[in-house]
Amino acid sequence: MRARVVAGGIVSSAAVLVIGWQLGGQPALTAPAQQGTTASGGPSSTGGSSTDGGSSASGGAAASGGASASGSFTGAAAETQYGEVQVRVTIADGRITDVTALHLTDRDGRSVAISQQAAPILRQEALQAQSAQIQAVSGATFTSEGYTTSLQSAIDQAGL
Amino acid sequence: MTVTTFTTMGTVVTLRGAGPAAAAEVRAVFAGYDHRYSLHDPASVLSRIAAGTLRLSDAPAAVREVYALALAWRDRTGGAFTPHRPDGVVDLSGVVKALAVRDAGAALDAHAEDWMISAGGDVLVRGRYRPDTSWAVGVVDPARRDTVVGVVRLDGTRRSVCTSGTAERGEHVWRRSVPTFVQATVVADDVVTADVLATAVVADDEDDLRRLTAPGDVDVLAFGVDGTVWATPGAARVVAPDAGAVAPRAR
Repeated sequence: MRARVVAGGIVSSAAVLVIGWQLGGQPALTAPAQQGTTASGGPSSTGGSSTDGGSSASGGAAASGGASASGSFTGAAAETQYGEVQVRVTIADGRITDVTALHLTDRDGRSVAISQQAAPILRQEALQAQSAQIQAVSGATFTSEGYTTSLQSAIDQAGL
Repeated sequence: MTVTTFTTMGTVVTLRGAGPAAAAEVRAVFAGYDHRYSLHDPASVLSRIAAGTLRLSDAPAAVREVYALALAWRDRTGGAFTPHRPDGVVDLSGVVKALAVRDAGAALDAHAEDWMISAGGDVLVRGRYRPDTSWAVGVVDPARRDTVVGVVRLDGTRRSVCTSGTAERGEHVWRRSVPTFVQATVVADDVVTADVLATAVVADDEDDLRRLTAPGDVDVLAFGVDGTVWATPGAARVVAPDAGAVAPRAR
């Protein structure tokens, strides 16, 4: 199982990336992270830059070869459905150990409420997905055709 | 853990903790409901009622009981959930899948202490995933179905998680007005309550959400069209940081 670490561009696709990570060889889970955001520029604290969120590595040592990497990486700010978000990812031995939302917009009162929710969500999805502690996914009902590409299908196949 | 999947009611059912015998019983439960209530099958009881060749009052007692159940839920939800299509056709699909899951659960109970069933994203569990671990259900991101935005841990009396969304194919989500929510997840003690209320919340507005959650017998996580996330106190932990999740797994 190869570790893939992407710091830059992780902002709004942490779960996708990390899910793909923890399941390694399950292609169904490494759904392409189509950012659809304004993430641009490189991570502020590292040389590596990735905005495709798919396969690039940052920080050099954390390339897709699975080599152990450690340190903190700051992603570029991105516009998400929850507002502008920037995330710092802490990596130890090639694994994400913490995700911190560094900046959240507060354009108006409503956005503050949104952001306060977004921070724990972003953190949670990354951490939870990594540890693969779910056996089912609850979402709007999928069709039998849609199941094939669903997260549930991937979990079922993994037999987690 | 053994995972069994099969296709029914236009979606896929996933079973965990069920042996071949239990899985066969569960299949039969779903087939039975589908046979009676499918509007896609012209020979079903509901199709014949819709076609006018069978009167509802002449339908089997079980069908009339399901209809009565749906009407009771219509009243509790102030009409947000309804068994009547806009064209007048009686459509019980809004409760039938949940009832099938409920009955499948009863069948599984006879075989095992710990099991999980998911029918197209409507989840019911019993017991635990592992001796030291509760069943955990990810809640899908309404904007990206391949992403999880939170995790519901089913312990205590809460045994079911159901989610409804505007992307849902189900014909039972009929909007009454301008939508407030794009997705609602309801955690409840039973699957019928969770499923029906998830449907109702998506069709509802903020005031309705407060009213539906006032009794405190369910936890709700709802995503507004404007990006706002609503959570009852019990559901707030779904998206709250959980230190336990950081523990590294052995490779």
